[in-house]
Amino acid sequence: MPDALYLSTAIGLPYLGALVTALLPANARRLESWLAGAVALLTLTMVWLCYYPTIAEGGVVRAEIAWVPQLGLNLVLRLDGLASVFAVMVAGIGLLVVLYARYYMSSDDPIPRFFAFLLAFMGSMMGLVLSGNLIQLVFFWELTSLFSFLLIGYWQHSAQARDGARMALTVTASGGLALLAGVLLLGHIVGSYDLDRVLASGDVIRAHPLYLPALVLVLLGALTKSAQFPFHFWLPHAMAAPTPVSAYLHSATLVKAGIFLMARLWPVMAGTDAWFWILGSAGMITLLLGAYVAIFQHDMKGLLAYSTISHLGLITVLLSLNSPLAMVAAIFHTMNHATFKASLFMAAGIIDHETGTRDIRRLSGLNATMPFTARLAMVAAAAMAGVPLLNGFISKEMFITETLSASTAPTLLHSLLPLGAALASIFAVAYSLRFIHGAFFGPTTGDMPHTPHEPPQWMRLPVEVLVFGCMVVGILPAATIGPFLDVAVRSVLGEATPYYSLAVWHGFNLPLVMSLIALAGGALLYRLLQRHLNAGIDGTPLLRRLDGRRLFDRVMVFLSWRFARTLERLLGTSRLQTQLRLMVCVTILAAVLALAPHDFGLGVLQLSPADPVIGLVWLAGSLCALAAAYQAKYHRLAALVLLGGAGLAVCITFVWFSAPDLAVTQLLVEVVTTVLLLLGLRWMPKRLELAGSGRLLSRLRRYRDFAIALGAGLGLTAISYATMTRVSPEGISRFFLERAYTEGGGTNVVNVILVDFRGFDTFGEITVLCIVALTVFALLRRFRPAPESIGVPDQQQGDVRNWMMVPAVTMKLLFPLIGVVAVYLLLRGHDLPGGGFAGGLMLAIAILLQYMAGGTRWVEDHLRVHPLRWMSAGLLLAGGTGLAAMAFGQPFLTSYFAYADLGWLGKLPVASALIFDIGVFALVFGATVLMLIAIAHQSVRSQRAAPTPPPAPQEER
Amino acid sequence: MQHLAIAPILLPLLAGAIMIPMDDQRGRLRAALGVASALGLLAIAIALAFLADAGDAAPVFVYRLGNWPAQFGIVLVVDRLAAMLLLLSAVLGLAALLFSLVRWQRMGAHFHALFQFQLMGLNGAFLTGDLFNLFVFFEVLLAASYGLALHGSGVARVKAGLHYIAINLAASLLFLIGVSMIYGVAGTLNMADLAARIPALPAEDRPLLEAGAAILAMAFLAKAAMWPMGFWLAPTYSAASPPAAAIFSMMSKVGFYAVLRLSLLLFGAEAGASAGFGSTWLFLGGLATIAFGAISVLATQDLSRLAGASVLISSGTSLAALGAGQEAVTSGALFYLASSALAIGAFFLLVELLERGREVGADVLAVTQEAYGGKTEEDEEEVEVGTPIPATMAVLGGCFLCCALVLAGLPPLSGFIAKFAMLDGILNPQGLGQGAAAVPPDGWALLAALILSGLATVLAMTRAGIRSLWAATDRAVPRVGVVEIAPILLLLGLCIGMTAGAGPVLRYMQATASALHTAPSYMGSVVPVDGTTEARP
Repeated sequence: MPDALYLSTAIGLPYLGALVTALLPANARRLESWLAGAVALLTLTMVWLCYYPTIAEGGVVRAEIAWVPQLGLNLVLRLDGLASVFAVMVAGIGLLVVLYARYYMSSDDPIPRFFAFLLAFMGSMMGLVLSGNLIQLVFFWELTSLFSFLLIGYWQHSAQARDGARMALTVTASGGLALLAGVLLLGHIVGSYDLDRVLASGDVIRAHPLYLPALVLVLLGALTKSAQFPFHFWLPHAMAAPTPVSAYLHSATLVKAGIFLMARLWPVMAGTDAWFWILGSAGMITLLLGAYVAIFQHDMKGLLAYSTISHLGLITVLLSLNSPLAMVAAIFHTMNHATFKASLFMAAGIIDHETGTRDIRRLSGLNATMPFTARLAMVAAAAMAGVPLLNGFISKEMFITETLSASTAPTLLHSLLPLGAALASIFAVAYSLRFIHGAFFGPTTGDMPHTPHEPPQWMRLPVEVLVFGCMVVGILPAATIGPFLDVAVRSVLGEATPYYSLAVWHGFNLPLVMSLIALAGGALLYRLLQRHLNAGIDGTPLLRRLDGRRLFDRVMVFLSWRFARTLERLLGTSRLQTQLRLMVCVTILAAVLALAPHDFGLGVLQLSPADPVIGLVWLAGSLCALAAAYQAKYHRLAALVLLGGAGLAVCITFVWFSAPDLAVTQLLVEVVTTVLLLLGLRWMPKRLELAGSGRLLSRLRRYRDFAIALGAGLGLTAISYATMTRVSPEGISRFFLERAYTEGGGTNVVNVILVDFRGFDTFGEITVLCIVALTVFALLRRFRPAPESIGVPDQQQGDVRNWMMVPAVTMKLLFPLIGVVAVYLLLRGHDLPGGGFAGGLMLAIAILLQYMAGGTRWVEDHLRVHPLRWMSAGLLLAGGTGLAAMAFGQPFLTSYFAYADLGWLGKLPVASALIFDIGVFALVFGATVLMLIAIAHQSVRSQRAAPTPPPAPQEER
Repeated sequence: MQHLAIAPILLPLLAGAIMIPMDDQRGRLRAALGVASALGLLAIAIALAFLADAGDAAPVFVYRLGNWPAQFGIVLVVDRLAAMLLLLSAVLGLAALLFSLVRWQRMGAHFHALFQFQLMGLNGAFLTGDLFNLFVFFEVLLAASYGLALHGSGVARVKAGLHYIAINLAASLLFLIGVSMIYGVAGTLNMADLAARIPALPAEDRPLLEAGAAILAMAFLAKAAMWPMGFWLAPTYSAASPPAAAIFSMMSKVGFYAVLRLSLLLFGAEAGASAGFGSTWLFLGGLATIAFGAISVLATQDLSRLAGASVLISSGTSLAALGAGQEAVTSGALFYLASSALAIGAFFLLVELLERGREVGADVLAVTQEAYGGKTEEDEEEVEVGTPIPATMAVLGGCFLCCALVLAGLPPLSGFIAKFAMLDGILNPQGLGQGAAAVPPDGWALLAALILSGLATVLAMTRAGIRSLWAATDRAVPRVGVVEIAPILLLLGLCIGMTAGAGPVLRYMQATASALHTAPSYMGSVVPVDGTTEARP
């Protein structure tokens, strides 16, 4: 169990450290770096504790924490040889980077953020290499992308950093998504995401029809992360990060994640032609391209970046060869590259820190001014070039050996391998020479912002440690790195581990000759190019046009700007008319598609003979509706009046077919809405028929809309006709008719349905009315009419009172009468046509008439209605009636009825539904009046504000 | 205990009713009442979720309003799905309400009452087991959303709001047509009763019923913003005031909820000749919506438009996942729905804080302000945010990052788990390692759509985040109050919780999906199988 604890600590600790660091104050530099260092050291210790004795003996440490077991996703922490090598690199170099950053970072930078991101990144890398579950691996994979994005963009004020970070994230996160898809396919093939299960299913995977898609997707992830051609371009731009970040990300961690993944899945996915062709070609191109471009970089970090790309290509080529020996070389070179590249980045950072520039053209003679750093950098660069007695030499020689032995295979790519290896080695020597010669030799009077001097001793320590490592491994490989490499290789290859010898001297053989040729050739190449390089020309000869960044930017702009905008314009719209048209058309289509596959037939019922009177009413109603639609655009008043005609036809129809309740309600609703709309019309700006509106195009558009409307209308008619001509199903209506009186206590079935059977619907609908009234009120309170409708209209000019006298008096006299009718409608509702809704509307009409007759001011001086209180009371009354049932242990809205004996007045049916109906009454009244008042107050407000007319003769009230 | 089922409707209703006559002088009381109601809703929803999860697949409560038998009266049904959505809307409601307390509540009249009614409408829609009552609650939530969309006024808001109203009124009309057709053919409005009648429907009636269902679906799909009926969404949501937009992120789930509930109940495996009706179209519509959402996400430069476009992607993903017709995918889609609703809600709130530097209220509708003699009733107040938080930009940046991660479906937050659950469901419908059947072409299409839409979101979010958080170095740091950031942290905290507790949460979703895919368990407990109807006492 301690193993599980160690492993979870190794992942959890960095995150915890990140969290704590983030919360520390910005000026606690010392504390933060100590904390970060301690975390890195502890993490390293944890890995070490697991390493001995289990891993060293070829075992695997494994811990499983349940997470989403249903989907086969558990946190599986799994440490084997390969993982432990990477974990040591992550934690060890992380420790050195923390120490280095302590001295590198300026006091102006927000330090907590830096260390927090760095530690979080470290945790993500640990999580990645310790993953024993493929989904978990993707999980941490994307986290490394995320935190590397934050680290690269650390200096967010610089545009370069922002662009570099964005590019890195875009490329690596896209790759991560591809990897997710690939891993899902692997899981599908194997039947588990567990790494152990997957590693045991190599033959199943390679034989599966989905092998190729899975391979391509997984490799897309690996190649983007490890900056392989054609995804290499993000890495140089990531150099905008602070140097400690580059030293960490681009030597041992981020870019090695891709290598780790390929090595991890090598046993199950490698061994096919597809594997070789994809990785071999990508790796070879990257190897050569990176090395070639590196020669011509003027920025030290740029040179190192391209050299990193090239070395990653080298490792990729080794992995592609499908040979166990090449696998050994790949892991070995990964370790070596991490050490010398990290130290070189740090050295470049020291130079930048102490001289103020990283431009090789401006640097010169540092060998004299900062001798110690210069020597360290020279050794590391020599390792990078593959000079004997340094670690880079041994793994590079293994690489050349492997390419030579692979070249016996028949394909062209195979036979070109040694040539490529030699060429790349020559380039590597050339750029290493450039790095050393350009910066450290020459006159001491370079064009440098600061006078160069040695850095603090502690800042140099990490470089010293790493360079020491390069030398020790280079001289005594088998005694130092040998056991670790062996454990790593065995964990990947298992039984298939080949015999290999780690030695400096293998006799005088072809690889050695090639190495020597490379050294000489590289020196010669550098000599030849020196004039060109000293000229200080930017860009790479022959490849000037191959600018990954420009291509990337263009693709991004195209994708997110032209392409997306065009498509959005083509596929979308912001016009209301178009949207409504689409909605109608889609609905027609949906209905047709639903009907089309079947035999759609009309029902069997016979039509009753048509009555000429109702036919005439309908003719008039239809004509009114058509005319209203025709006039709606420019003549709103006419359209409204015509709509009233159509509504009236509907009312008469209801009466005709014995539905007095509906008729009453419909009539009242017609009255109220028409009046409110008329009041609203006053504030609408006039709509004038423009000269161009009669053009052919707009006329065609109207015809098309007419056709759509006709189609929808006819379709709806057909469907309704078909529905009504069939025998109605055994539905629920009989139940209502039978029980309305016996159980609902009312003879008016419609009303009993509304307030009892489906009282909850009514309850909801009155809430809707209440909400609408509140919305109208809230909207109109802030409404400011258009300038052209502010003025007092012609009809209100002059003395209105005189010619409104007779109607006004009549309306005022009618007020009590209408009020009584309203209450009558309410009370009789349960048994006869009427009800709370109709009654409330009726009372509202009474108030409406007063406003029309006397004007807003007059009414409000005489009669104050508080619509908000009415609404609130109505809603609470209705709700309270329902709640009362709960007190008797019944569900909400359960009704109760009895007859109250009122002596000589007779018996009054008292149902709890009546109280509910009174609530409805109050709410409907309140809501309608609220809307009325909201509109009416517009004119009060505008008169108050409008400066013009002299006070109207009001004193006579 | 039984009455707990109706409490999510009654509590906000009564709170709203009491608030109506309160004026601004009693603003504190009104706000306290609103928050108390939201907290109460949260507590009720949590209780319901636990109760619903304790039982088997059948709904835990069937509440017969007015004590009428199910077919004749109206029933409310609490099952896992309803409880989960109640919980989500309670959480989002609480967050949005808290956020509004600092300043948005004062930007217009009757905000609190409208907000309570909005919650009531949402809850009612999730609870009801009756088709026409669903229409009523749709009207409640729509009416309230009209008010909330217009809350705060301004040219953009009024313009988008009026478009929104027009389109939703048209959709409501379709709703009515669809319901009437279904009632005309099947003779019932109760969903469970309807589901029981559909298999036995005579062949000549079936086309009419299906056409009715198709028209009804259009109303829901317009609400869920399926392409090509969702163009109203992004302008409306991005113009709405942030608290309103945050609760709207729940509202666009209502359309999806209705489609989910009805398509699986009415046209599930037991529906006889109608089984699986429309699922292909749902799938295709969902894919088109994902595509259009991804395009809009890429094309926009504006943070709130970006949030609106993410709603489209989220809707499309849910619809397409439902259309795929696999129980495993449905459970992933439910997880996704919860996580994306939370994140989008948080994002809408966050956008306002990020863009706070800009002039507020410069866009008051009124060319004629001067005609009214300058300022009127409600003058814009100074932004007073209460206790400001420290390290504002860091906190805002962190929140933005979390939102982006959830919406893009990247690790480590719940969006990743959600996407993974759906993808795994597509590839291994029977469960991982349980017979590796070949994946059908539509599975591949959905897989590609999910991954590519995630990519589009990453690209857009990175661009927007860099521009508004990194590039604008010279901008003034916005003043953000504790009360404003707390709701965002609450929502994102839940996303984190959903990641850490992904196992139990997903188990709940799987139980929900399994119950949804076996309609009889729902039908049986709402309408007794033997046809007897409990007599009314």
